[in-house]
Amino acid sequence: MTVTATGPVVRASDLTLRYGRTLALADVAFTLRDGVTGLLGPNGAGKTTLLRIVATALVPDRGQLTVLGADPRTESGRLAVRRRLGYLPQDPGFHPGFSAFEFVDYVAILKELTNRRVRHEEVSRVLTAVGLADQRGKKIRALSGGMRQRVALAAALLGDPDLLILDEPTVGLDPEQRLRFREVVAELGEGRSVLLSTHQTEEVMALCQRVIVLDRGTVRFEGTPVDLAALARGRVWTSGSRAPEALASWRAGTGRYRHVGDPPTGAELLEPTVEDGYLMLVDATADQEAYA
Amino acid sequence: MISEGEAAMDATGWHPPDRELRRYGERVLVPPVLWSIEAHLAACAQCRERLAVVDPQVVRAGWARLDAELDAPVPGPVERLLVRVGVAEHTARLLAATPVLRLSWLAAVVSTLALVALLANLAHPVVFLATAPLLPVGGVALSFGPRVDPTYEITVVAPMHTFRLLLLRCVAVLSATTALSAAASLALPDYGLVALGWFLPALALTLLSLALTPRLGPVLAAASVGLGWIALVTSTLGVGSGGSAVFVPAGQLALALAGALAALVLARIRRAFETPRRFW
Repeated sequence: MTVTATGPVVRASDLTLRYGRTLALADVAFTLRDGVTGLLGPNGAGKTTLLRIVATALVPDRGQLTVLGADPRTESGRLAVRRRLGYLPQDPGFHPGFSAFEFVDYVAILKELTNRRVRHEEVSRVLTAVGLADQRGKKIRALSGGMRQRVALAAALLGDPDLLILDEPTVGLDPEQRLRFREVVAELGEGRSVLLSTHQTEEVMALCQRVIVLDRGTVRFEGTPVDLAALARGRVWTSGSRAPEALASWRAGTGRYRHVGDPPTGAELLEPTVEDGYLMLVDATADQEAYA
Repeated sequence: MISEGEAAMDATGWHPPDRELRRYGERVLVPPVLWSIEAHLAACAQCRERLAVVDPQVVRAGWARLDAELDAPVPGPVERLLVRVGVAEHTARLLAATPVLRLSWLAAVVSTLALVALLANLAHPVVFLATAPLLPVGGVALSFGPRVDPTYEITVVAPMHTFRLLLLRCVAVLSATTALSAAASLALPDYGLVALGWFLPALALTLLSLALTPRLGPVLAAASVGLGWIALVTSTLGVGSGGSAVFVPAGQLALALAGALAALVLARIRRAFETPRRFW
């Protein structure tokens, strides 16, 4: 299954895509290897567009892309990628009335598992892998949001894919469901490549070995979460009041303000986190009110 | 453990040797030895226990298989019928899961046909003949695409060819609407074969709509074809017992040719369905 011994799982350069007049991606370049990689960025940064391109659901206007050694611009390359890919879209839809087993079984047919016995064994395996073995006969409409996400994840795991693409998989889940989902994804990241989009920095800290920060359609950072946090070294300080000159300034749980930006002389510096590094990169002003 | 030599008989009778049990677990035995061991295992608790010891992994896998089969979807009547007439099991599953073939849609089609058949009896058959071909066009449009298929995003990145899935769904929709329209035609006994004048237009319009889909998307393609059809019928009203020139033999021939042409175009452009579309 592992493909990384020979090179990157995904190699992208100059990926550009427009929706009408809107530039969704501009000269995006990155490489993806084994393990879990987080695609971090604010809403509207182009994360879903980029994931859809890698998942072969969308064709870029220009740029080069190699996924699992194949070129998805050609029909044969697209087919080769799709046979080794698992994709969980941002808003996975389900046929109403299907049970968890029926839905995954349906997707298994689309994934060319035509032999009934082999297919049913595989469906059973993936539902067990996501912790839904005892819920498989239940109608999807009777399952919680977290369970539905896991059903969709089970469908993505069919055929033991080399590359797993998860688009905002924990949106709308409560903290407990989010935790359960993270456990599953962390296990899946062992021995395969997972590309996970999120706008939550704690998700990156909890799951990802590498992180790509995307903002307004461009890659602003590619490296480890530690490297991302290090970007804010010497740029995070605390004080008793709001600092208008800071890039971002918010009241922490301690009651004191935490600031990211250029600290004044003699400021009380803090150890930076991934979130601080992220805020250094993206335009945080739009979100400042929410943080304040 | 029972060796090859001991296998023939013991105090209670015959028991299969370990080697045979292992081969049974690996599912490589062939009849009649397979049947013999299967029958023995059903009756002999001792050998069932031996099987678990000989190859516990195989037994666990067997339980997992059994478990999976118990939760496997039970095919509905349509699916069972399709399998009975020779359709492959997985194809029957895909056909039965066509999103538009829900009870609500079928009920809407039946209601529409009943209403237009009534109107046709009260006013003129052209009402029925012009409406029936629009039903499969609408059904096909509502069978595939990001706005109407809840699993579109998953479907489009699956290795199965999009064109094949689209054709399967078209077959499902066309079969359902054709059967219902044919039944509704019985409400027009006075018009003989003219009452079946909707059939060729239904085929031609559906094929035309499919041929336009890569360029316009399923909904816009169907809407354009539907509007074109209404314009054609209304502009040729008052000819023949069907009420329009499209329902006389020459008109039907022209539609058959248009349908054949659309089928040829569709065959040529089938690869276009495999390229992801941005604006559907």
